[in-house]
Amino acid sequence: MFSAKVKSDVIKGIIDVTSPLVNEAKFNISPKGISLRAVDPAHVAMVDLEVKNKAFEEYKADEMELGIDLDKLSSIMKLASAGDMVSLEYDEDTNRLIIKIGNLVRRMGLIDTAGMPDSKMPNLDLPAKAVIKASELTQGVRASEAVSDHLALTIDKESFELYAEGDTDTVNLRLPKDLLLELSSPGKYKSLFSIDYFSNMIKPVKGDDPVTILLGNDNPVRVDFDIADKKGHVTYLLAPRIESE
Amino acid sequence: MGVDLGPLFKKEKCSINDLKNRVIAIDAHNTLHQFLSIIRQRDGTPLKDSQGKITSHLSGLLYRTANLIEAKIKPVYIFDGEPHPFKTQTLEQRKERKEQAEKEWKKALEKGDLETAKTKAQQTSRVTDEIIQQSKELLNALGIPHVQAPSEGEAQASYMVKKGDAYAVGSQDFDCLLFGSPILIRNLTISGRRKLPGKKIYIKTNPELIRLQPNLKSLGILHRQLIDMAILIGTDFNPGIKGIGPKKSLELIKKTGNVENALALIGKSNAPTFSEINEIRNIFLKPRVTDKYLLQWSKPDKERVLKILCDHHQFSQERVESALEKFSTIEYMVKQKNLFDF
Repeated sequence: MFSAKVKSDVIKGIIDVTSPLVNEAKFNISPKGISLRAVDPAHVAMVDLEVKNKAFEEYKADEMELGIDLDKLSSIMKLASAGDMVSLEYDEDTNRLIIKIGNLVRRMGLIDTAGMPDSKMPNLDLPAKAVIKASELTQGVRASEAVSDHLALTIDKESFELYAEGDTDTVNLRLPKDLLLELSSPGKYKSLFSIDYFSNMIKPVKGDDPVTILLGNDNPVRVDFDIADKKGHVTYLLAPRIESE
Repeated sequence: MGVDLGPLFKKEKCSINDLKNRVIAIDAHNTLHQFLSIIRQRDGTPLKDSQGKITSHLSGLLYRTANLIEAKIKPVYIFDGEPHPFKTQTLEQRKERKEQAEKEWKKALEKGDLETAKTKAQQTSRVTDEIIQQSKELLNALGIPHVQAPSEGEAQASYMVKKGDAYAVGSQDFDCLLFGSPILIRNLTISGRRKLPGKKIYIKTNPELIRLQPNLKSLGILHRQLIDMAILIGTDFNPGIKGIGPKKSLELIKKTGNVENALALIGKSNAPTFSEINEIRNIFLKPRVTDKYLLQWSKPDKERVLKILCDHHQFSQERVESALEKFSTIEYMVKQKNLFDF
């Protein structure tokens, strides 16, 4: 059994973080809330998200899995305005999710979850940590997009730095400790990442939202932030690019 | 050759672009056999080097792989290991058919009937140990991974898809679905043209994708019942019951639930014994597979490729070099690490 009422923004947030990586996802429903983990087909990025039952206006659920076509869900959610209330209900007899927005009722066919693999979260040792305002990070990534297809992140004891280098232009964003919400690093750590993936990853964060970045040397980056008015949480892992062989 | 299950499955169209960045576990035997059959001259003679050795497989591997890599698809070729004892009969029959085709090819050539000659010649194609060895050497030089299956290649490929190491099995056969691969991709050619077997007609081909679970669901059967159906039709491991094709077997299995009941109903005498049936089921359900493989793509070793293809087998250097240029996208793939490398 699953039946819930929630603001459209919460569902849109889930779509925003998941759809850049996969077209279909397995939503794990439990009495505590909804969680999902997805890895893109190239195994470069992983999203792990959780939305607590408190994020919903109404929430009733047993343990179950829903296989959802995210393109479909996204096109349905485009019919809802910000702040609209959306009701969701699983119809066991027809294996469909009944989505109601105002007077509109959409019965959405679900995908079989049997073929969807359960990915394990890789065990990573990432010693450097920086907490940054979303707006700072977004600005740096946007600027980098114009000059290159990859960017370098560096965290040392004093600062966080984002650097991108193209054939003729470079972009540099250096934030000393006092401009960061938090910084802790035992030394200097640097890794390179694809800008395509990186910019998709931070799409849902805005303004003063704190974004936590954990970094190592030529290691994946772990990015954490809250969604759904802090009643939901997202962890993103992105594998690095290696500068030379 | 595989089980004739094609007509039962729903196939989805799929473009090369949908497969970008994905790992495809390619059935090497099936692919090499295809190259050996198709890449031939008008009279049916395969491509040969100056010493008269067949090179159709090397040509096919080079150009096919180059096109896949250019499209940012990551191929891994899966080679067959030791065949199951039940396969011996199938292999014997294939050998006989090939010998027969060989004779008919020669006859047609004497008569000057080129069309028949080519058809017969295609049926003589044999993936020999030497061809397999040369193919592996070329793949090594090209920086493309390959995996040696302990037994059936399609079983190993399916296992890798189930594990999540590959997105789909690439093969023309449907057998990987019996081995439980969630996705099969057929016609993984970029050239988009395929000759109909035995006919002088070319059809435009697009890759097509077949998903196991939705198909089982719409057929209204379980995976083990699909295997039971295959046993009735005939697999590489048993000859099947005369007069039973895909439709009839679906009907029978849906009505009776399994092979044993179906056989009791139709009362055939030349049927496999219950213990043979169980053994065949086990080949598909619990195949011998390995976890010992490394999926790594690297830049081609240009000198080695040129040495193999141009020095040893007289390929045109210009054409090989232009195919190698398509491998430049591999740099992007090499530099981008995989999350599960950590």
